[in-house]
Amino acid sequence: MFYRESGDFKTSYSGDQQIFPIAFDRWVVIAFCAFAFVVVPFLINDYWEKSVLVPVLVWSLAALGLNILTGYCGQVSLGTGGFMAVGAYASYKLTTSFPEMNMFIVILLSGGVTALVGIVFGLPSLRIKGFYLAVATLASQFFLVWLFNKVPWFYNYSASGQISAPERFVFGIAISGPNSPPWATYLFCLTFVVVFALIAKNLTRGRLGRSWMAIRDMDIAAEIIGVPPLKTKLSAFAVSSFYIGISGALFFMVYLGAAEPTEAFGIEKSFLVLFMIIIGGLGSIFGSFIGAAFMILMPVLFKNIMVGGLGWPTDLVAHLIFMLIGGLIMFFLIVEPHGLAQLWRVTKEKLRLWPFPH
Amino acid sequence: MNSQIAPGETLLEVKNISLSFGGVKALQDISFDILKGEVRAIIGPNGAGKSSMLNVINGFYHPQQGEVWFDGKLRTQMKPHEVAKLGIARTFQNIALFKGMSTLDNLMTGRMIKMKTNLFWQALWKGPAEKEEQEHRERVEHIIEFLKIQSIRKTPVGRLPYGMQKRVELGRALAAESKLLLLDEPMAGMNLEEKEDMCRFVLDVNDEFGTTIALIEHDMGVVMDISDRVVVLDYGEKLADGTPDEVRKNQAVIDAYLGVSHES
Ligand SMILES: Nc1ncnc2c1ncn2[C@@H]1O[C@H](COP(=O)(O)OP(=O)(O)OP(=O)(O)O)[C@@H](O)[C@H]1O
Ligand SMILES: [Mg+2]
Repeated sequence: MFYRESGDFKTSYSGDQQIFPIAFDRWVVIAFCAFAFVVVPFLINDYWEKSVLVPVLVWSLAALGLNILTGYCGQVSLGTGGFMAVGAYASYKLTTSFPEMNMFIVILLSGGVTALVGIVFGLPSLRIKGFYLAVATLASQFFLVWLFNKVPWFYNYSASGQISAPERFVFGIAISGPNSPPWATYLFCLTFVVVFALIAKNLTRGRLGRSWMAIRDMDIAAEIIGVPPLKTKLSAFAVSSFYIGISGALFFMVYLGAAEPTEAFGIEKSFLVLFMIIIGGLGSIFGSFIGAAFMILMPVLFKNIMVGGLGWPTDLVAHLIFMLIGGLIMFFLIVEPHGLAQLWRVTKEKLRLWPFPH
Repeated sequence: MNSQIAPGETLLEVKNISLSFGGVKALQDISFDILKGEVRAIIGPNGAGKSSMLNVINGFYHPQQGEVWFDGKLRTQMKPHEVAKLGIARTFQNIALFKGMSTLDNLMTGRMIKMKTNLFWQALWKGPAEKEEQEHRERVEHIIEFLKIQSIRKTPVGRLPYGMQKRVELGRALAAESKLLLLDEPMAGMNLEEKEDMCRFVLDVNDEFGTTIALIEHDMGVVMDISDRVVVLDYGEKLADGTPDEVRKNQAVIDAYLGVSHES
């Protein structure tokens, strides 16, 4: 019996309402976080930062955001790339207009700006549902990218039409610009991810989360119970866009360093994040993380094996990876349509009873 | 629950309600009242307009004519979620549970209107948010015990059998602790044993919590047993209104149920 919940009795409702009601889970997660904060910064190098850790963190935030809207509240969105762009451009405008502003504040405010934009683009959701809403959000994706291309004010009239992240410091250490040490950018992103994952968990297990899920599962019944549909949907758009905005700001400031809207925040980014949450599991915080890790790390893994290990030509491998990832997505969706998080849950349920399945 | 209205006085009154969908006259000039503390049955053949009546009461349909008075106040053109706040809860003819959520979460959602901590505290899950969550959990556990659904507390309701889903839906409506409970065919499709359980619950809710109940039911035995007064609808019109005994003897009702043709 490696994994047990027997002997782990709940004597109070607060005990039962914990994020990880099973002590074993709790300790694994705490140990994992401790490792991520204390040990990894000493081991990290440029490669791990740029190819693995920072992208996984940044995309996890975006996946969390979209999962709140789509997985929890049932509103399909294809505007993720556009909302990330809003976060990125907000952080750029803020930090170039107020160079002294603390970077934590800049990123948070960028999330706030994106939340407001999200509310505006969420308004049609009262009238249109499902597939049609997806198309409406697609329009917002194209509109936002077009806007950031067309209006020079957003890129401070730079000749290239690009935005580039100036060097900024947190506690005297650069977290953006070419001289930022890998451990610093990693820790900066990790802090946001851990704090906001916790907040997402709290929101989704409480009143607000239940009202989102009620709208998702049966909007008429939800309304008759006292859930105001418009307010609830807009709150999901706001919170979701806040997360996606933060992710976009970090993606630009910390990871890319320079960005051009069509390249960095195009429609394929919207699909990427949608794949993440479908693969990981709709309506699951944990699933957002595995989904993001899967979509980011699989290509890295394949590339290492095929180019590094087998010595195949890079362009051939790039195409092969596309096909392999597509195949894997289909495979997982057939094996478990509810995503990797569900696969994990089922495995755990089996482990929990092992070796006595009945 | 703390209404000024004493038991036996009028809790809800509908006056001259007319509702039509295009050419279909679902309700025509319907008036009746529901007294505080009673079990009021609404009966009638299929398509009589019973469910439409409930939809009017909880603000889902807006009648072309007529007034709805609740708790002593005239209620005009309200949205369903506003009606919920006034203290009216309901169940549906076709189960309308939140299928992806557990029994517990369904019932907790039923208490939505009673919860009020702001986003900040909810995000932290501390202080008022945690306290509120626990208080409401206690109330919900009461209902879970009352309905004897402890063993399915954490089960996603989509996986439950039909009879259990009906029971959970009643639980969700009870969780709101409303003044008026509208039940649309709570026993439809149930076997005898399940029906008996459901009758027990309805009567207990009425006795123990003093909740006023309006229910639609096709099973005449059940209706005669548990209701204080019955209103009969047919083709959108009111046929009769009175105690079960009076209604049973009413010639128009007998005709309607025996299927005497309307032209004759
Ligand atoms: N949303 C709607 N749009 C159009 N017609 C409707 C609508 N709702 C109800 N009706 C019509 O109104 C009439 C009354 O329907 P209602 O559902 O109220 O009947 P009921 O008494 O509940 O019947 P049952 O016993 O079958 O549930 C029917 O003719 C129905 O077709
Ligand atoms: Mg009906």
